[in-house]
Amino acid sequence: MSALATPSIERESELRENPHPDRPWQTVVWDDPVNLMSYVTHVFREYFGLSRAEAERLMLAVHNEGHAVVAVGAREQMELHAQAMHDYGLWATVRQEPQ
Amino acid sequence: MTDRVIVMELARLEAAHLVGIVGQFLELLSDAAPDDGDPAIGRLVPPAYTDERDAREFRDLTETHLLERRRTDAGVVLASLADAAEIPDEPDDPALMESVEVRLDPEVAQAWLRTLAAVRLVLATRLGITGPEDHDPDNPRFGIYDWLGYRLDGLVSALDDEA
Repeated sequence: MSALATPSIERESELRENPHPDRPWQTVVWDDPVNLMSYVTHVFREYFGLSRAEAERLMLAVHNEGHAVVAVGAREQMELHAQAMHDYGLWATVRQEPQ
Repeated sequence: MTDRVIVMELARLEAAHLVGIVGQFLELLSDAAPDDGDPAIGRLVPPAYTDERDAREFRDLTETHLLERRRTDAGVVLASLADAAEIPDEPDDPALMESVEVRLDPEVAQAWLRTLAAVRLVLATRLGITGPEDHDPDNPRFGIYDWLGYRLDGLVSALDDEA
């Protein structure tokens, strides 16, 4: 897919407090009653480059468990993924790995 | 997997309806002021954090661009439908039901996907669909919502078809 504008994170990161620097960040996609299962699977394939089987497994995890972690890594990267998911109409959040 | 041209067949009347709906969507986006609290717009730029301050910061950084993308996508969809949506004035003219082909190259097809998905999100907000139990396919008030879902699903199938 085409590039998204990069939020100017650098300015913010110095100001952000991080009480748990050892815990990785996650992008989480949440289930909603509107987006079609076929569409969500397609988005996971298109954006994350997953195989059909992997994308379906992830879509079903979202659907059956209400949410699923779709990416793990640096906060800035997780925010880019969340923005990309929002661009497709999926609801994604960013969080630190729960303890 | 999406480097092929997709050919979508639809009736002229259907194309004209789509133009009307996507046009309304574009109007909604153009009239939307940041922070006017419309939940339909809110659903297009959902909170990325549970923490309110973080969510606000993220939205401030991404909202303008995301809504601009919705407008651009909607414009691409309208442009691709321009010929197909030309309909005669006579309501019983058989040309209304004439089937026309709309050719979507990969980028245009992606704009269609995102637009159909976004319009459904807006309609779902208006229809009060917050859970699976809120949607009754036999109720005519969900007609347009279901029709857009049918078209979106067909487009996804065409794009994902690796044969």
